[in-house]
Amino acid sequence: MIQVAEDAKRMLIDIAEKQDMYVEGNILKLFDPGDDQEFRKYVDVAIDRDKAARSKRLSVTKQVQNQNRELIFAQQQNEKLMSDLQVALQKAEDAKKIVENDLDNLQKRNQFELINIIVKVSLWMIVGVGILSTGMYITGMVTKSDTTLTGNVWSNIVSILLTNSFSIIGTIMGVKYASEKPKT
Amino acid sequence: MIDSILLVDDENLFHLVFEDACSLLDISLKLQALSSADEADRLFKAWKNTPDLKPECVFVDLNIVGSSFDGAELIRRINYEHGNGVVIGIISSSYDRKEMSKAVAAGAQFWIVKSDEIEPRLEEFKNDYPGYKSRTANFKVYS
Repeated sequence: MIQVAEDAKRMLIDIAEKQDMYVEGNILKLFDPGDDQEFRKYVDVAIDRDKAARSKRLSVTKQVQNQNRELIFAQQQNEKLMSDLQVALQKAEDAKKIVENDLDNLQKRNQFELINIIVKVSLWMIVGVGILSTGMYITGMVTKSDTTLTGNVWSNIVSILLTNSFSIIGTIMGVKYASEKPKT
Repeated sequence: MIDSILLVDDENLFHLVFEDACSLLDISLKLQALSSADEADRLFKAWKNTPDLKPECVFVDLNIVGSSFDGAELIRRINYEHGNGVVIGIISSSYDRKEMSKAVAAGAQFWIVKSDEIEPRLEEFKNDYPGYKSRTANFKVYS
């Protein structure tokens, strides 16, 4: 315990009366007022004021602590939401890529199918004309008619078919290869 | 009344709460607060040569953010590496039985659960303190 000198006691009491200022903190608990009732009263008042101030500070600190906890919790929730959003965004982008890819494949397939039809129709037309001119030429020869024109037509058609046969076969093979389903 | 207390807790706001609660409950007049287990470890190493400066009672948080090790490890070091002699325990918001067993194995004498109403728990601890000091009290959880 601390024995406070008389003049120091008087000075402290005087400051308290005139300026309403008291010693604060745990050191008050070490002051020994002895038999001095006036100084005992001073120490009691100072301790009560210190306790009131500490209680107030404790209450405010607890409030701030709670607010901090809530803020940290909210921040964690936000971070989790952001993370979930990023995952969802990534999934949406992946799905978009898959859909775009499927659409592209579908468009290509449609194009190839169209080309396939065009090539088939063209082939049948050429073959048809070939068969027709051959038939007319044979008919002309059998009936002993004039085959000059049909003979020229037939030779032209056969030469065209021979000339273009490789490119026709190439186109057909290309269309067939492109329109095949990819192996999984 | 406890002569001197050391609090090791990364939450600075809790330092204020603990200091005010200890003062209001007349638990101790002298309180030192640290935010890192590493710093506490260093101090206890230094106090080997100056045991008079060593605190009488140590409160350690379980998870001390920014430290190389947790509260249970700090208690183990204080008890087994830096010499025994202090009353030591955990003050944490956790109530994990596994962690409690770990702390007891490290030499913790008590476990105070942090909450808004810390004062009644500290008051109860204050009443049990002589038992901890004389090493006659068993491990106790204040919740």
